[in-house]
Amino acid sequence: MTQPLLSIDDLHKSYGSEEVLEGVGLEMDQGDVTVLIGPSGSGKSTLLRCVNRLTEINSGQIALDGQDVTGANTDVNELRKQVGMVFQDFNLFAHLTALENVTLGPKKVLGMDAADAEEAGRTHLEQVGLLEQADSYPAELSGGQKQRVGIARALAMDPELLLFDEPTSALDPELVGEVVEVMRDLAAEGITMLVVSHEMDFARSAASDIVFLDDGEIVEHGPPEQLFQNPTAERTEQFLSRLHAHEETA
Amino acid sequence: MSTAESTTSPNPGLRDRVGTVFTVRPLTVGLALFWVWVLARWTTDFVLAGVFGLDRGTPFIPAAPFLTTADTVGSLAASLGAVGAPLVWFAETLRFAADATAYLPAMAHGIWTTVLLTVFSVCFGFALALPLSVVRVYGGRWARWLALSYTELIRGTPLLAQLFVLYFATSLTQVLRGVPGIGVGFIPAQAFWVAVISFTLNSAAYQSEYLRASLESVDGGQLTAARAIGLSKLEGIRYVVVPQGLRLALPSWTNELVYLIKYSSLASFITVQELYGRTSTIANETYQYTELFVLVAILYLALVVSASALMDRVESHTATAGVGHTRQ
Ligand SMILES: Nc1ncnc2c1ncn2[C@@H]1O[C@H](COP(=O)(O)OP(=O)(O)O)[C@@H](O)[C@H]1O
Ligand SMILES: [Mg+2]
Repeated sequence: MTQPLLSIDDLHKSYGSEEVLEGVGLEMDQGDVTVLIGPSGSGKSTLLRCVNRLTEINSGQIALDGQDVTGANTDVNELRKQVGMVFQDFNLFAHLTALENVTLGPKKVLGMDAADAEEAGRTHLEQVGLLEQADSYPAELSGGQKQRVGIARALAMDPELLLFDEPTSALDPELVGEVVEVMRDLAAEGITMLVVSHEMDFARSAASDIVFLDDGEIVEHGPPEQLFQNPTAERTEQFLSRLHAHEETA
Repeated sequence: MSTAESTTSPNPGLRDRVGTVFTVRPLTVGLALFWVWVLARWTTDFVLAGVFGLDRGTPFIPAAPFLTTADTVGSLAASLGAVGAPLVWFAETLRFAADATAYLPAMAHGIWTTVLLTVFSVCFGFALALPLSVVRVYGGRWARWLALSYTELIRGTPLLAQLFVLYFATSLTQVLRGVPGIGVGFIPAQAFWVAVISFTLNSAAYQSEYLRASLESVDGGQLTAARAIGLSKLEGIRYVVVPQGLRLALPSWTNELVYLIKYSSLASFITVQELYGRTSTIANETYQYTELFVLVAILYLALVVSASALMDRVESHTATAGVGHTRQ
């Protein structure tokens, strides 16, 4: 048996007296696409942020490729080279062009020289279909384009794991498709992705696993067909029916 | 801030904004003439006079023609009686021009000192203000407290008092006197450097306040995204937050520059012969206070307007869609 790429065990996280994650456990193998669903405030973002240590945990274990993530001696910047993140609000560097957004990490973190970084950066922009926009500033891009640059920026670091925190929820409905399409391509290429998203389209077509998080606990975990068609927990069922109702009105 | 607008118009009006500096024709011509004169003065007095052994400060335009014309116009006015009043005024203006030609060379020398004083102080002040503002926003509790105390101490006391403390109450002047090179040739004497140090310390406090406000207005997600690609906090601040903060700070920074041009006149209180100092020295000798202070006001105005025009160009050059105040 090979070791999982990401393993999370009995993870606890509190903000003050409020326990946000109450003993979460999760494993992902190389190439897995795990979609995390759950109501707002259930701790999905917090879970992602624990994995790349934008947030420090209270107790439990997280290991990436067998390496301890949360230890005091772990170099966070080294860890973050291996774990890319895509944000809900894009958070593109506003003063840099699309290409510069993508090359900043390779140049300053990986120490690539400018020419190599640009060549690689153009490849990544091409991968998300934005080569033409290489010299545009974020403010000159549509939401969908911004998010695709955000994905290219994360890809440019050649990470082992990509985290997506609601990558399409800040987008106008007609722009969701282009981002989902890029994510689906990445999934097909075998990139390991942990995705917080309620985009059922993506979850059904690309996910290897669905995880339902509620109140800081994993309520249910399974392949998409099973979890969507035959949820075992009542809470999952309720959440899914609300989600479907919302999808139909949207 | 208009992210929405700039989304629809890429790189909004960059050309237009560069254009505005030049479309105000009379102003541009006036400023150009001013600087041609200033540079010609500096070249003749500081370089050519030394090389050819000429007298420094010889006026480019002799006063005599103005005076003879003034006399002619004056006597004509006298013969016309009450009707000649406008001519009397014209004659007065000509006499003022004659006086001005005599005083302007010395004032050009004063402008040199004022420009040096301002440029040094604003640049050194910036070098101090940047780390101060970063500490104010991102520093630990004690570092933040220290930076805040410094800023408040400086902003809460008069600049003149700060200048006097440094000049009279410390041994800074003695220390500077011992520094080789100071006061030799082009390098100004120690009082000038005391003023530079004082204005630097003062300007650093004000500039750090402007920068702090700008750094704080950069969205927090920017630093988070920087950290997420593996940049350290300091690198994230340096490569992501500060470049955006600096653009946001440009308008208030222009204000600071303009203030400093005018406040640098306080250096005259510690014997520095900058523009105001030189002018008041001449005024005390000639008693032509009104003429000289009108003249010095015009020269300060020219300096201030030049600085604003320059900063306008810097702003348009560094303008980035979606960062800072995109003027339409
Ligand atoms: N930095 C923080 N400080 C305090 N409370 C926080 C912080 N971040 C998140 N929380 C709280 O933790 C809970 C889970 O938040 P989050 O992980 O963002 O949920 P989700 O992404 O599932 O909507 C919420 O109640 C939220 O208010
Ligand atoms: Mg969230």
